[in-house]
Amino acid sequence: MAVLKILGKGAAAAVSSYKLILLIWVTTMVMVFMVALPLRSFLSNIFGNSMAVTRLSDGFDLGLAGDMGKPFVSLLSAVSMGGLLLLLAGFLLYTFFAGGLFASCASGWGRLKMSTFIRESARNFLPFLKIAVLMMLLIAAYTFFIVGIPIIVTMAISGGSKGSSNFIYLFYAIWALGMPVWLFVADASRRWVAATGSGNVFMALSAGFRALKERFWVSYGIVLVILILNASFVFLSIWFTGWSIPEKGGLIFLFFMATQALFIIKLFMKTWRYASVCALASQKK
Amino acid sequence: MKKIFFAVCLYLPVFLSGQLVVDTPLSARLTGYDIDVVLEPVSHIVKGDMTAWWVNNSEKPVVDAMMHMYLNAFSSNMSSFAKGGQWSPAGDEGWGWVKIRSIYDYKGNDLSDSMNFQSPDDGNTHDRTVLQILLPEPVLPGDTLRFSINFESKLPSPIDRTGYADDFHFVAQWFPKFGVYETAGMRQREADGWNCHQFHPNSEFYSNHSVYNVSVTMPEEYVAGSGGMLIEEIFPGDSLKKVVWRAEDIVDFAWTAWPEYKSVTRKWRGVDITLLTTDAGLKKADNQFAAVIYALEYLDERVGPYPWPHLTFVDPPMSGAGAGGMEYTTLFTSAGGGLVPSFLKLAEMTTIHEFGHAYFMGILASNEFEEPWIDEGMNSYWEQRIVDHHYGDGYGLIRLPFIKMSDSDQGRLGYITSPSRSISTNDLPSWLYPHGTYGMMSYDKAAAWLHTLEGLIGTETMDKLFREYYRRWAFRHPSGRDFISVVNDVVREEHGDRFGENMDWFFEQVLYGNEICDYRVAGVTSHKIKSYSGVVEGDSVTYTRSDRTSDTLYISRVSIERLGGVSLPAEVLIGFDDGKELLERWDGKESYKDYEYTGATRVIWVKLDPDDKIDIDVDRINNSWSSTQKFYASRRMTDKFVFLMQLMISMFTL
Ligand SMILES: [Zn+2]
Repeated sequence: MAVLKILGKGAAAAVSSYKLILLIWVTTMVMVFMVALPLRSFLSNIFGNSMAVTRLSDGFDLGLAGDMGKPFVSLLSAVSMGGLLLLLAGFLLYTFFAGGLFASCASGWGRLKMSTFIRESARNFLPFLKIAVLMMLLIAAYTFFIVGIPIIVTMAISGGSKGSSNFIYLFYAIWALGMPVWLFVADASRRWVAATGSGNVFMALSAGFRALKERFWVSYGIVLVILILNASFVFLSIWFTGWSIPEKGGLIFLFFMATQALFIIKLFMKTWRYASVCALASQKK
Repeated sequence: MKKIFFAVCLYLPVFLSGQLVVDTPLSARLTGYDIDVVLEPVSHIVKGDMTAWWVNNSEKPVVDAMMHMYLNAFSSNMSSFAKGGQWSPAGDEGWGWVKIRSIYDYKGNDLSDSMNFQSPDDGNTHDRTVLQILLPEPVLPGDTLRFSINFESKLPSPIDRTGYADDFHFVAQWFPKFGVYETAGMRQREADGWNCHQFHPNSEFYSNHSVYNVSVTMPEEYVAGSGGMLIEEIFPGDSLKKVVWRAEDIVDFAWTAWPEYKSVTRKWRGVDITLLTTDAGLKKADNQFAAVIYALEYLDERVGPYPWPHLTFVDPPMSGAGAGGMEYTTLFTSAGGGLVPSFLKLAEMTTIHEFGHAYFMGILASNEFEEPWIDEGMNSYWEQRIVDHHYGDGYGLIRLPFIKMSDSDQGRLGYITSPSRSISTNDLPSWLYPHGTYGMMSYDKAAAWLHTLEGLIGTETMDKLFREYYRRWAFRHPSGRDFISVVNDVVREEHGDRFGENMDWFFEQVLYGNEICDYRVAGVTSHKIKSYSGVVEGDSVTYTRSDRTSDTLYISRVSIERLGGVSLPAEVLIGFDDGKELLERWDGKESYKDYEYTGATRVIWVKLDPDDKIDIDVDRINNSWSSTQKFYASRRMTDKFVFLMQLMISMFTL
């Protein structure tokens, strides 16, 4: 019950900060299009007036790679380099916005002015960046111990073939069940920074762990629920994108709008998690 | 063909004519082997006795015998195989060899001093993979030569097709085996003689269809399989077992033994199929059986029957991966069954390919050394047809939401992207392809022009000609020229002289030539005919058109070009702005062609080779033109990219 109540409060808070979510959406879109548009004209140039481009209709037909010749190699490296750069820039941008979002929680959701939001984002940026890097290192180590080592061990036992390995899935499950812990700590630590104004990362992290310990099951429960919804949502979104093959201008525009709507929902779900963690902290007081 | 069998059977030793596996002999059975050996699992040595027969079916006496001694390829870094394939042993224990300890003819003459190694292919004196045995007296026409041989074979490591890894043994090319004695006229040969090639990194098969009785004694706990039919397992004590196999009418006999094998059996129309696999591979057993049964059904229907009642295939463990992807007719090895994700049909493709060799090289026993294209190329062509037919046209090999590829495109890709694609013709012996082009030429290019041939003459005719090829050449030794003559006969029968007197013009270009094929739509122009058109002649004007009120008329010109040296007939599909389509046929002989259309409608698109029949066209992007750029595909791709990137960014940040 406690979990549901907090999730409800979090959802309300997230909805009331729709302006911030839209701001993040627009910024991300502009950023991604800066890489995507040159790729698009590159692709259009390769095909020129050829009708072979129709073979890209249901997914990229690798059979065309040979006909594309050298430009295909350039395209491939442009896509992978562009993708990497976007991930890096995105990481910084989202760390920045997280500063503003958690500040909203301190000042009451939905009430934050846009300029305050940006200012708070800037103020929290450095400590948030440190927390993000530390937490990601922790998660990487966690992943290695829970999933990596069992895989290596089974590979070694079964002589290199993937494995006598149904029980490897058990480790995947354990890994997934552990993830809410780390995400909660990351969120609670950042909430602490936003609320106290302190830039001390280690104090923030210990505050995060303390918050987890204080009300473990509720904390764990809210993040777990959101995470499960999130994962199913991402899975469905990718499935939808993969198998949609709009052929005409209008339909393509609709498809684009649909993907962007999906992305806004995705952003909402992340904000929902932040807001729920904040709601839990304020309920305690 | 039956007639030949009976004629030959008359003078065959009883041993050769006996029947255990198939009802009547499928081949002439000019050679046979009776082998009784022991596998020593610690030293990885196989040793014992062998009686080998060869029947002289020529009309002249023969003074020598030639035998393959292929394990000697692993006895030196200087062998043609080791040099070419850069094989070297894994430590002191890794060398391999085959030694004849004693050899007698049927009269008891000791022939040990009559043996010498030959290097007919490259003159490499360090190569000891071909043995000549000078006979004390010639073998007369119709007579049978019989050797009693005691031999010892040490398996190599690492495995390269054959060898061992710990207690995994894959034993191929392991005993002294006769070359093929060819008579004049056979495979366009001028005079009688032995055809016995060295062991090369890229070729190893050319032998008579033979009969094999093989007994191997090995530790009891080993699980074994072979290209033969299991006759019995005897347990003589000392924790040993003796496995007895018999094989009929196959060109090579290989076997494998490993304590960890898991064995699964299924039956398909009277054929007992056995899969030897690993723990991990068991999960993929269903897929593997499905693949091999697809191939059996497909080839059985379109080429000819699979005549043996048994078939064994192996999915080797990682440690034995070097034995993967090999073909010994009734025994073959797949690869990577347990490792590859299911959207990628690599293991299935390998299974289908290696099984296909039971036809292309096994039954239709061409010479892989001298004409690798007719072995690997023809087999790849059928593999691609089967894979794309069963796993999806357009995505037979890879099927993901965002990426796909067909198996035939995979093959074509290898050819069209090779910078060396036109440095040699496609009819070279395996070891003479320059600059590492063997695989690209023998597999990919040959398969691509076989698809092209299918595109030209139609799938039905193609299947018919392969049935005829099987009918004429099953259990014999066809050459490329023999195949072409089947093509010529069947195409003439089906299409008259639509393609000319014969199809030689096709093979001269794609097989015996080295030019590329590239068609291109150079462009399309359309312009209005002016309202006043005519010529001033003397004092008057002759108008061709002077009516301002009539409908607008256009002249559209479609320009197409042949950029490569290969000239093939091509179809051109032309689309007009009122939705009408027009199919033109171009003989492709000149280097360009213009089509002109006058009328109320304009040409808005052109597709050269609209059905992608010409698989060897090295660039298909330039085969079409549209007045409106087809932006929507790149727009859609971009939109998908944008959304996926947005998701990724959101997922990879806390
Ligand atoms: Zn092959």
